[in-house]
Amino acid sequence: MQLDTLNLNYWAIAPELIVSLVAVVLMLMDAFSRKGGRQANAFVALIGLIAAFVAVVRLGGLAAGGYFGGMVVIDPTRLFFAAIILIVAILAVLLAGQFLGDEGLPPGEFFSLLLFATSGMLLLTAAGDLVTVFLGLEIASITTYILAGYRRYDVRANESSLKYFLLGSFSTAFMLYGMALTYGATGTTNIEGIRQAIASESINFPALLLLGAAMMLVGFGFKIASAPFHLWTPDVYEGAPTLVTGFMGTGPKVAVFAAFIRVFIGGFDVPIAGVGLQLHNGWIHAVAVISVITMTVGNIVAISQKNIKRLLAYSSIAHAGYALVGFVTGDFAPVAFYLLAYSIVSVGAFGVIQLLARAGDQKTMIDDYAGIGFEAPALTFPLAIFLLSLAGIPSTAGFIGKFYVFKSAWVTTPSLRYLVVAAVINSIISIYYYLYPIVVIFFRPLAPGFVRPRMQKATALAIILTIIGTFYLGLLPNRLLKSMEKGQPARITANQPGTK
Amino acid sequence: MVPLSWYLALSAVLFTIGVVGVIVQRNVIVLFMCIELMLNAVNLTLVAFSRFLGNATGQLFVFIVMAVAAAEAAVGLAIIISLFRNRETLNVDEADLLKL
Amino acid sequence: MKDYLPILIVFIFVLGFAVTNIVLSHVIGRRKDTRAKLMPYECGMDPVGSAHQRFSVKFYLVAMLFILFDIEAIFLLPWAVVFRSLITTLSRSFVFIEMMAFIAVLFVGYVYVWKKGLFEWTRG
Repeated sequence: MQLDTLNLNYWAIAPELIVSLVAVVLMLMDAFSRKGGRQANAFVALIGLIAAFVAVVRLGGLAAGGYFGGMVVIDPTRLFFAAIILIVAILAVLLAGQFLGDEGLPPGEFFSLLLFATSGMLLLTAAGDLVTVFLGLEIASITTYILAGYRRYDVRANESSLKYFLLGSFSTAFMLYGMALTYGATGTTNIEGIRQAIASESINFPALLLLGAAMMLVGFGFKIASAPFHLWTPDVYEGAPTLVTGFMGTGPKVAVFAAFIRVFIGGFDVPIAGVGLQLHNGWIHAVAVISVITMTVGNIVAISQKNIKRLLAYSSIAHAGYALVGFVTGDFAPVAFYLLAYSIVSVGAFGVIQLLARAGDQKTMIDDYAGIGFEAPALTFPLAIFLLSLAGIPSTAGFIGKFYVFKSAWVTTPSLRYLVVAAVINSIISIYYYLYPIVVIFFRPLAPGFVRPRMQKATALAIILTIIGTFYLGLLPNRLLKSMEKGQPARITANQPGTK
Repeated sequence: MVPLSWYLALSAVLFTIGVVGVIVQRNVIVLFMCIELMLNAVNLTLVAFSRFLGNATGQLFVFIVMAVAAAEAAVGLAIIISLFRNRETLNVDEADLLKL
Repeated sequence: MKDYLPILIVFIFVLGFAVTNIVLSHVIGRRKDTRAKLMPYECGMDPVGSAHQRFSVKFYLVAMLFILFDIEAIFLLPWAVVFRSLITTLSRSFVFIEMMAFIAVLFVGYVYVWKKGLFEWTRG
């Protein structure tokens, strides 16, 4: 194997390198400074993430294709998903100062874990090989398990962390078994190689390929919290600190979606004769059914929720269902745009709730917020905007996201139009439970003992940025949509690693 | 020589034992061991395939899985310890503050 | 059967090594029997009593650190085995620096753990 066939180019993993190096620096800063300065850590983390963002943009200048022997790829899917993840991470760092300050938690480890998680997610979006998918997934997951239990004297956070850990590693084992079977069936772990093996009908054991794909579907289903694998989500989201909930409900999920697209649309989607067609039909229909169940379960159960964090947890399940609708188009753009819209709004909403809930998440019931609408307008109006965007009200990001996904699915796959119909019905149902908190906040008598929370500057900046993002994507999405459509579909082009 | 199918059957059995263990067991440490068993069953599959196909990717994958499993074990133990410090129990059924 | 002969030799060698050491230390070493020394050996704990007593949490910390640093050896071994064949195609310094980068990352972890005081057994 020669050096040039491996295509070793460190610029191709520059974002991942930058983020993990900064995470290591933060770790050392934490170890060597007496009393870790919260601001210094946040500042370094922010600089690192912005540098990584620039590096992602610069990736567009490199040739698309596989690097490091096909372990890592550069394609439009990666660029867009990596950008979404970095946006989420930057917002989380901005919000983290408030969280750590109010709760009196040690800052050093938090930022370094956050950045390690981000580097794992970036790797996941870049993965061109099942090995890298696994590695990225685990780096992202293991750090998120710790973040979920970061408030370590709080039993709820411990429980949340434990449940997340047990079910997360359980699902990882499933995914891994699926990968092993796929490897056995196709003789390679390279996603492009798998596609070629299926296309050339050189499969050792067709049954194992189908079984492997099914198990990977279960694994991905767990990680994106789709029904019927969603049962861990509400408990974990409720128990984790609100900021972490916002982060893990968006970042890791977005990254897993990227890998999901890469593996299933990029690797398993070869609708030619034989096992390829079987596989194609199998997974498309499985995803369609999972999508419908997911959005329906998420929305129906969300209606009866009294706790705002649980409400948003079920809402996030429903949104995973909507995003899955985009899979039938065979293109990454609708899913990516949808997840961008969802992530920005969702992080914003959790950022506001973090303030309303107080240190230690004491007030997370919707009734706790009765009548505070005009008492703390700087918080309640943004929250209302975010909830309306999640509901998909026109002029917000949520509306364009839904419209784009549903329209693409309707146009590209006439046979699966029932999916779009189900999604639209679900969106209408969901308006009810998104409006309920708004009604309580603005039109109920004020609950006694409300004290207006003090907001830090960085928090205010993050909330302003998310509001701008919500309206920018909602009112002027054309530029972004155009640049997405220019990119080819999620398929990876060429550069298969040498097999000898 | 032992045929491939035997290895696959063994690892499938081990994996299933792990899955059943995760579902029926109540002690966190045992749950945790069941998950490790599942991962190692997968390792066996990977090595068997690697041998059968005559390509080293499977073995490389096993190295990565082992390293990751170690990291996971460390974090898992840490989480269990912190729960134990606050709750004094290892029974997952008693970790029930967040029930519906 | 002839293939298994080396394994048998290793087995005999290991057994011989262990037995020789125990016997030698028994014969040559100076002994002063105290109560603690005559107790059955059990990793720093009182061996008599219920087996269900609680272990100190420090053991878990050491176990975790051990797992983490121990497992990294699996990356060093294959690297060392293929080093010679690898440098026929890749540049020697490249192959070397790659592994040094890996070890540097491990070292940072080690420094972190040290600085955090996890090696201080008597700490609170």
